[in-house]
Amino acid sequence: MDCCRNKRSIFSYFKNGISKSQCDEREKQSKKRKLVLVGTPNVGKSVIFNYLTGSYVTVSNYPGTTVEVSRGTSKIGNELYEVIDTPGMYSLIPITEEERVTRTLLLEEEPDIVVHVVDAKNLERMLPLTLQLIEAGLPVMLVVNMMDEAERIGRTIDIEKLSRILGIPVAATAAAINRGMTEFKRKVAEYGEKRAA
Amino acid sequence: MARKEPLEYHDFNTHRNFNEIEKAARDIEVLLKSDYRLSKRSIALLLLQEDEEITALVRRKEKDFDTIDKIIQKTRKACPEPLQYLITLERQSKVDRILREVISAREKRESSFEQWLDDITIKPLTGVPLLFLVLYFGLYKFVGQFGAGTVVDFIEGNIFEAYVNPWINHIVVSLIPYKPIQQLLALDYGIITLGIRYAVAIILPIVGTFFLVFSIIEDSGYLPRLALLVDRVFKKIGLNGRAVIPMTLGFGCDTMATLVSRTLETRRERIIATLLLALAIPCSAQLGVILALLSGRPYAMGVWVGFILLVFLFIGYLTAKILPGERPSFYMEVPPLRMPKISNVLEKTFSRMQWYFLEIVPMFILASVLIWFGKMTGLFDMIVHALAPVMNAMGLPEKAAEAFLFGFFRRDYGAAGLYDLQKSGALNGVQMVVASATLTLFVPCIAQFSIMVKERGVKTALAIVGFIVPFAFISGVALNWVLNTLGVTL
Repeated sequence: MDCCRNKRSIFSYFKNGISKSQCDEREKQSKKRKLVLVGTPNVGKSVIFNYLTGSYVTVSNYPGTTVEVSRGTSKIGNELYEVIDTPGMYSLIPITEEERVTRTLLLEEEPDIVVHVVDAKNLERMLPLTLQLIEAGLPVMLVVNMMDEAERIGRTIDIEKLSRILGIPVAATAAAINRGMTEFKRKVAEYGEKRAA
Repeated sequence: MARKEPLEYHDFNTHRNFNEIEKAARDIEVLLKSDYRLSKRSIALLLLQEDEEITALVRRKEKDFDTIDKIIQKTRKACPEPLQYLITLERQSKVDRILREVISAREKRESSFEQWLDDITIKPLTGVPLLFLVLYFGLYKFVGQFGAGTVVDFIEGNIFEAYVNPWINHIVVSLIPYKPIQQLLALDYGIITLGIRYAVAIILPIVGTFFLVFSIIEDSGYLPRLALLVDRVFKKIGLNGRAVIPMTLGFGCDTMATLVSRTLETRRERIIATLLLALAIPCSAQLGVILALLSGRPYAMGVWVGFILLVFLFIGYLTAKILPGERPSFYMEVPPLRMPKISNVLEKTFSRMQWYFLEIVPMFILASVLIWFGKMTGLFDMIVHALAPVMNAMGLPEKAAEAFLFGFFRRDYGAAGLYDLQKSGALNGVQMVVASATLTLFVPCIAQFSIMVKERGVKTALAIVGFIVPFAFISGVALNWVLNTLGVTL
């Protein structure tokens, strides 16, 4: 994949296109760890991407806004991470071209951490993908996003317990209002260290 | 990868066939000798679920694929339902089990107000009027009247006409003695006085207000509901509900909308959308001028709307029939309605405006140069003259050709030409409708065309324009003929 064609969410390409020199730099820094964001469309992957990388990809309340893969860099803990935002995927078995892109990326990029972002209100539809990712032996961690909206419909989720049952780190966030994001970042750093050890 | 497998499904088989699937998966796992990056268990399950890519991969990598294939076939025969379905079912029941332990639900349903709002956006009976309200207030009132009217008048009249243009003209005339160069830079058709002025004074306010409205609508979650609403109509013309996005965007700016059509799933859909945008969707600027042009004559406006709608549906239907390829299925998450966040809306609006502005300025400079060149060489008048017979066939005066020529540079510029003609009393009602309709259908502006080339390729873009130009004029002739034959006066 051509690294300079990044940030291609529908509108924002021109603004954030990474310059050529940055691209070269990125290729040189093969030591950087890789973090891939995956999940169903419209669960907040792009908001989290923007938070981590400090750049801007268009965020909408509209599924499928991210049509191409975006890349950025983030310092998490003491490590530099290459953060990759992917088009939505529903299952490990791809149906659309966009889903195929994401699966191929998971296969070929050898990520250090795969962050599966899910909507707290729709856990029952989204957790099957988590199971598939764990089953595939990928280094998964789960972000249960939109906690505020889940709470509004009276739903409480025992995050600790979920983490224990799944055997992976789980963070609870409301990314749009910046809740739980520091904690999420801390968990990423911790998980990254553990995996590197 | 020595991960403990906490999620094997066999320990709680809810389905009588699951032991068989579990056994098959284990047998296949043993037979997989190569490295796949994904775990062997995952590969085995994907094989059982007939994933094409993985099957091809394993066939390539494993010598003993035949044995694996035999296991797959045997298991498939033994199970009454597709394996993918069974595995999905099993996985879902595992998920439900987990969630029963972690979710404590005193779940309230959505508040009745939200539920109600949700319902009325999707049901045709209320959804369609609601759509018209959104279009009327969002597009017509705010973008058309406030953006394209008030704001444009202010920047154009109070800033450019009053200060910038006289100032630039004065400087250019006093510094450069050579007349053609003066005209290239300033005066009536100059790069600064026409090109830049158009970009800053006309386009920026229109797209700015439009992007603002669009960002709000987008963040509220209304679009997926709109997509559901029009899905059925759009299916008939070979598009699915998702195409609503570029089509709505088209009413703001067709250039932008053509770009966004890349979110559509198949190439076929993208071509149909590009064609319909170029043909039958007037952009906000053009729409504004045409609305102003016909506003005094409601019947004329009715004929115009009806005619364009007819062309849109007819051509859409026709291309869907002609173009080969599968019809897209529509699958979209419907997110909850949310209150848009002001900071997100503003950030999005500005980043879009910035992008658009950078994209459009070179186009305007180019247009200025071309018009200058045409005027200088007399090419312009020649083409206008050559178009006279076509104008005659549509029952229009020769001078109307100028409007069509301008229309290629900017859709609204063409409409503005008609506006001048009408003010001078040169057009009657029928002529105005014919001219407006033809101009709406007539070629995309330069910017849109260049994006068409960029997104769909030169061949497709030329083919589309090659179809549109004669089609627009033939439609104009036909409309003129029908109206005259029926003896309609508008």
